[in-house]
Amino acid sequence: MNGTAETLLAARGLTKRFGGVVALEDLELEVRRNQVLGLIGPNGSGKTTFFNVVTGIYAADGGEVTFGRDTITNLSAQAVYRAGIARTFQRSRLMLELSIFDNIMVGNHRRLNQGLWFNLARRRAFRREFQDGFEQARELVRVFDPPLADRMFEAVGGFPMIDRRRIEICRALISHPQLLLLDEPSAGMTHEETTQLMDDILEVRSTFEGLTIIIIEHEMGVIERITNRCVVLNFGRKICEGTYQEVAADRLVQEAYLGIE
Amino acid sequence: MNRGHASRANLMPGTLGIAAATAFLILFLSVESQAGTAVLLLGGAVFVLGAARFGGIARMRQSFTGNEGAMNLVVVAAALLLTGFFYDDHFTLLLVATVMIYMVAALGLTVQFGYAGVLNFAGAAFFGIGCYTAAVLTRNTALPHVLVLLAGGVMAALIGALLLLPVLRTRGHYSAVVTIAFTLLFKTFLEVNDTLGGPQGLRVDGMNLFGWRFNDNIEIGETLELSFFANYVVGSLILLALAFAFVRRLERSWTGLNMDAVRLDETAAACFGYNISRWKITAFTVGNFLAGLAGAIYAMMLGFIAPTNFTFGDSLILVSIVLLGGIGNPWGIAVATTIVIVLPEKLQIIQEYRFLLYASMVILILLFRPLGLLPRPLRSYVPGWQPK
Amino acid sequence: MDVGLFSQYVMNGLMLGMMYALVAVGFTLFFGVLDVINFSHGDVLMVGSFTGLATYLGLDALGVVWPVFQLTAVLAAATLAMALLGAAIARYLVLPLKSAPALNTLLITLMLGTVLREGIRLFYPEGANPKPFPALLPTDATALGNFNLRTDNLIMLLAGLVVIVGVHLLINRTKLGLAIRAVAQDEETAKTMGINFNLVVLVTFAIGSALAAFAGIMNGLYYNETNFGIGLLLGVIGFSSAIIGGLGNIYGAIIGGFLFAALQTVGAVALPFASAYKDVFAFGVVILIMAWRPTGLISEKVSERV
Repeated sequence: MNGTAETLLAARGLTKRFGGVVALEDLELEVRRNQVLGLIGPNGSGKTTFFNVVTGIYAADGGEVTFGRDTITNLSAQAVYRAGIARTFQRSRLMLELSIFDNIMVGNHRRLNQGLWFNLARRRAFRREFQDGFEQARELVRVFDPPLADRMFEAVGGFPMIDRRRIEICRALISHPQLLLLDEPSAGMTHEETTQLMDDILEVRSTFEGLTIIIIEHEMGVIERITNRCVVLNFGRKICEGTYQEVAADRLVQEAYLGIE
Repeated sequence: MNRGHASRANLMPGTLGIAAATAFLILFLSVESQAGTAVLLLGGAVFVLGAARFGGIARMRQSFTGNEGAMNLVVVAAALLLTGFFYDDHFTLLLVATVMIYMVAALGLTVQFGYAGVLNFAGAAFFGIGCYTAAVLTRNTALPHVLVLLAGGVMAALIGALLLLPVLRTRGHYSAVVTIAFTLLFKTFLEVNDTLGGPQGLRVDGMNLFGWRFNDNIEIGETLELSFFANYVVGSLILLALAFAFVRRLERSWTGLNMDAVRLDETAAACFGYNISRWKITAFTVGNFLAGLAGAIYAMMLGFIAPTNFTFGDSLILVSIVLLGGIGNPWGIAVATTIVIVLPEKLQIIQEYRFLLYASMVILILLFRPLGLLPRPLRSYVPGWQPK
Repeated sequence: MDVGLFSQYVMNGLMLGMMYALVAVGFTLFFGVLDVINFSHGDVLMVGSFTGLATYLGLDALGVVWPVFQLTAVLAAATLAMALLGAAIARYLVLPLKSAPALNTLLITLMLGTVLREGIRLFYPEGANPKPFPALLPTDATALGNFNLRTDNLIMLLAGLVVIVGVHLLINRTKLGLAIRAVAQDEETAKTMGINFNLVVLVTFAIGSALAAFAGIMNGLYYNETNFGIGLLLGVIGFSSAIIGGLGNIYGAIIGGFLFAALQTVGAVALPFASAYKDVFAFGVVILIMAWRPTGLISEKVSERV
């Protein structure tokens, strides 16, 4: 073992119930700094619930989550974000009426001056901050798709799914989080688009040093290509863990996915 | 050289549009007969539809976004021109000032549900709080009237704080029901409260700003006498310009972005560190402040207020203005307020039917043109700024 | 306070509570199937009461004076007409806005309420004035000490109870009720099970609006009067009751209705100097309950998925 110093996020005995349904049961999960962890499992196996519990949307019924040296179990969504965790959503949750720039700045909330006086009265200073924010957002978008960076002030609602996914990832990355949670980024996209987006993610990873990612994905090709390690969930429990090859060869996993008895 | 030429050409459509609108308004306000009014109305509608059809409105829009400062000045000049034209006409100037005051209140409502998505069906009640504050303070204290105006706004914001708890709830229907209940109870409260004049209402002193007495007619030389309402038009215009600039700045800042984000997706906003309550409280308070401020100057202008001015129906009229104009667009408010306030005053038949008319109109808008007459454009943080 | 007066207050509270509960059940049904608030509901009640009144006047003009028939006709006309109106509201205003922001549905129904209210005020003959509502029930009273138990009140309470039990059976014991509950649970699943979603919504709106009409007739009979403005406050009260009970829950709505009436009655007794403040008191307590139990006494249905 390399010791716990390298562990960035850890869940210990994490449990979440909805009424009688157990969505997460005694989940043990660890991701180390700089790794890409794949989270896989059939529909309803608790993957998104795990994200929601970590990011403070749902309160856990038991267990704990640590991030770096801090315990973040049941912190508010706001506090989790401030601690350095950002996410995307399975059903893309961009604000479609707002521009690309607006959406990305939503993700930059903790780094912008939110004082009322600053915003209303100190227009020169605001202008500088706006200019900086714009440069950063444009740089980030360029990494994904240069043409998109020239359309920063167009409404997101007018862009196709792949661009929306890109923008959503930019929104999560703009504040330089330590941990990025990607909830099924390939949903609603064609195979080629998915491949493209994964290239983008790999490229972003090389520009953001020390970025750790947990990705929920159904496309096994994606998992194989970008993850260092995988955790497989079924009925809220971890049934298997290892590299993609190890996991894919596991009998339990095949049962869970293919229903082989 | 070239650039200067280009921008002057760009200024033309906007200036022409404003000139046409001003000319139309002057004509419309001067016409006495009901038939003449109806004909003008029809002509105006056809003209605007035609202009929209041939891209005139879009070009006007470009003028406004391209030369904001200049266009704002053109609009102010047009308002003053209009006032000058009707310099001795009490009724018309009162109407003009009323429209401007309602614009201030509607701007407040825009911040609340155009930006932050906080529903407020008590707009008329907060306006009324400003009115009653002005009445009580001008009659019973020697407070300078500038402070009375502010007090009207502050009072509305403070009483609004009583409703904060339900307003902060995620689902809009809580703030809807509580603000409706508040409007109904507010009127009942005024009617049974003898200290506040009961159903008869209260008298209010005219405005006096540092010796500028608003209720005296203005005499220029020997022969020219301006209606004292001209004072109120100028006063309201100043207030409106301030409120307008304030709301614009708010929209073009991170604060405006925050309010939009809270309106559009609370869950996503929370995941990016937003303190949802903070922005809802800010919006609700700012909006009520503007409504109260508007109420205070309105009361001083009328000199008399009674509970019947602050019914639920009046609150709905404010809401209709915001929806008709284009939710979140301050220029839309200007157009919509003019239509909604002036129309029933000039077309007497409408007066009795105005609640019915505006409610039906809002239903049609929601079904067929939910963005309103002038849809809100995307945010530009710094006017005229271009990415390099 | 002596027993007679106390009983009087209780009777009053029960009558009001029954009306509020009937209105609240409508709100909660609509919210259940469609996650929307129909703010025109109170004004539908008012229109129901005017429909009943017009039916009575029509029969009267035709020379029909048999009270039992009159009452039946008044009830039938009002509930049927409002059921149709409710279904029309769902079909033409609420369903078209299904994918728009929830705010828009709220606004459109609120504005429809205004249209109904103003429509009656302007177009019903002398609609701006309060209208006397005929006494269609026996008005004799039994003296119990110094408390007069009026026969019509007793009949209305019993009738209200029968209606509520009827709704309970409809929701829990019939195929239609099963469909309504399925849609309320999960629209998508209900659709895949072959339930006609739009039809269920229309029927639910019809049922809820018919209940409002019933409450409107009750309101007229109880006060011997009706006017174009009653719907606004009754709607707000009915909705508040549904909220205290926990939106989406029928029993919560009924409890909420009686609770609100109890609060008003207590307010009227505790603040005899200014009965106008009894509503302020009641709404104040509602706000406090909302702060204490944000999703109502019985938990509100939440359907957002992240």
